[in-house]
Amino acid sequence: MGIRSFIHRLTAPSPLRSAPAGEYKLALLVNHELKMGKGKIGAQTGHASVKSVLNLGKDDPSRLDAWLTSGQAKICLKVDDEATILSLIKSAKSMGIPTVIVRDAGRTQIPSNSLTVAAIGPALVDDIDKITEHLKLL
Amino acid sequence: MLLSNDASHSLAIICRKDLSLSKGKFASQCAHAAVQCALHSQKSAKSDYEKWRNTGSRKVVLYAEDVDQLQELQQLAEQKNIVSALVKDAGRTEIPPGMITVLGLGPAMKTQIDDLCSGLELVR
Repeated sequence: MGIRSFIHRLTAPSPLRSAPAGEYKLALLVNHELKMGKGKIGAQTGHASVKSVLNLGKDDPSRLDAWLTSGQAKICLKVDDEATILSLIKSAKSMGIPTVIVRDAGRTQIPSNSLTVAAIGPALVDDIDKITEHLKLL
Repeated sequence: MLLSNDASHSLAIICRKDLSLSKGKFASQCAHAAVQCALHSQKSAKSDYEKWRNTGSRKVVLYAEDVDQLQELQQLAEQKNIVSALVKDAGRTEIPPGMITVLGLGPAMKTQIDDLCSGLELVR
């Protein structure tokens, strides 16, 4: 089996499940005060996305399917510092949107236990935009 | 050069050095690869997947020269039964649709990943 058909088999929606119709995305909030390099940011956003996907797979598989089958949109946004990220996470939680926080062991580049990246979603684009629309793209 | 630590398993994210992507685009592509590899291995390489998740889900981000090198690495990984995922971008921003941007390799034993990726440059 080719990789594409394999991935399709993993991600094809089950006909019995349903999630609210619309476009879904995952927002990744990168802590800008840490001045991480490109590779470090890539690894941290990878951590956050994998965690988000695995959590949603357990909590709400229909929403995960909706995101997986609609292009798996991800958007990386710049946030000034840890406190701002935490307050955005609080707003997302109050709206019932899934969130994830990644703290780094600090083996490379940054102090240990720093909040590097947080994820909001996957959720409907309109809902995520309510929380993140003022943020700049990374 | 890979960084050393105590994790037994690792996931490599290999990016094209010949594309000049913004930081955000680059990070999204890395995240795509990590998610594909995690989902893929959860089904097809469960033992490696669980060992990886239980030892801190180590990830390493490396550069390859171009798309040819990504495809060569993927072939080598397939020969060794290591999970891989080539990411093709939807092309909504910055680059044309369908362009291959990154390759995810693993999770697999760190020694296998190091073996496949020897000579690749670490992305700082």
